[in-house]
Amino acid sequence: MRADAQVLKGHLDTLLLASLENGPRHGYAVREALRAGGARFDLPTGTIYPALRRLEAAGLVTGTWAEADGRRRRSYELTAAGQRRLAGDRAAWRDFAAAVTAILDPAP
Amino acid sequence: MTSPLIAGYVGGLHRSLPAALADEAADGLTEAYEHHLAAGAGDQEAAQAALAEFGDLPTVIAEFTRQAPGRRAARLLLATGPAVGACWAAAMIAGHAWTWPVPAAARLGSAAALVLAVLALAIAAASRHSYRRTRTSAYAIPLILALDVTAVTVALAAPTLTWALRIAMAVSITRIAFTARALPRLLAR
Repeated sequence: MRADAQVLKGHLDTLLLASLENGPRHGYAVREALRAGGARFDLPTGTIYPALRRLEAAGLVTGTWAEADGRRRRSYELTAAGQRRLAGDRAAWRDFAAAVTAILDPAP
Repeated sequence: MTSPLIAGYVGGLHRSLPAALADEAADGLTEAYEHHLAAGAGDQEAAQAALAEFGDLPTVIAEFTRQAPGRRAARLLLATGPAVGACWAAAMIAGHAWTWPVPAAARLGSAAALVLAVLALAIAAASRHSYRRTRTSAYAIPLILALDVTAVTVALAAPTLTWALRIAMAVSITRIAFTARALPRLLAR
């Protein structure tokens, strides 16, 4: 479990960006999207918010406040820079995964 | 519709974090709680499940602190500061800076501003559990900005613009661009 948490931390930014790919989401919905990837990506929800704020400071997402069910809620969407970063991360991950798979599961 | 457990946690968020950050996290926690209530859990059970998913308060505060813009800016400035200082030292030695017509009070003032800025940045950079401490960067960054602007202005008046001086000026101008951009964000919260 701990190893999973460490691995997840290294890829958290990419996973957060990917969770916003199909449109804006607020923090809780981002967390639900990560959980859809399996219990392995079940990190404490409270730590998603600072990560989203950091991505916002880096210009990869933008956050906006809106009123929903009588509560103020902040949702995030990808910026153009965020979309480019996600595309780059995705390509890098596929190359890496293909290289590891080629060694671990060599074709007969 | 909220439980004392949730309200206690939200109070803790508000005591440690700027209002906008605390509000956002509290909304997420309340949503998780309501989610469990809607799924048929009792009040206490729903609150406990929501809190367990959210993470304990010290962990969440520490994560906000670790990723605070003030702390990140402080760490970047402290990491790059010695290189900026070295560029200026080289330029000043090459340009015999001791012969420049800069009043002693200005030299002393600059030195004091630099020491204060480094101290404030060190407090922000070292903070691990206190978001408030990361905001000391907001005091340091105007000082760094003023020092860079002063250094570039003084250098422009130097009798000869050596290469070392040009490099030091370019480095300072780069840092001015960074600090001027970071400042509004740090003052906003």
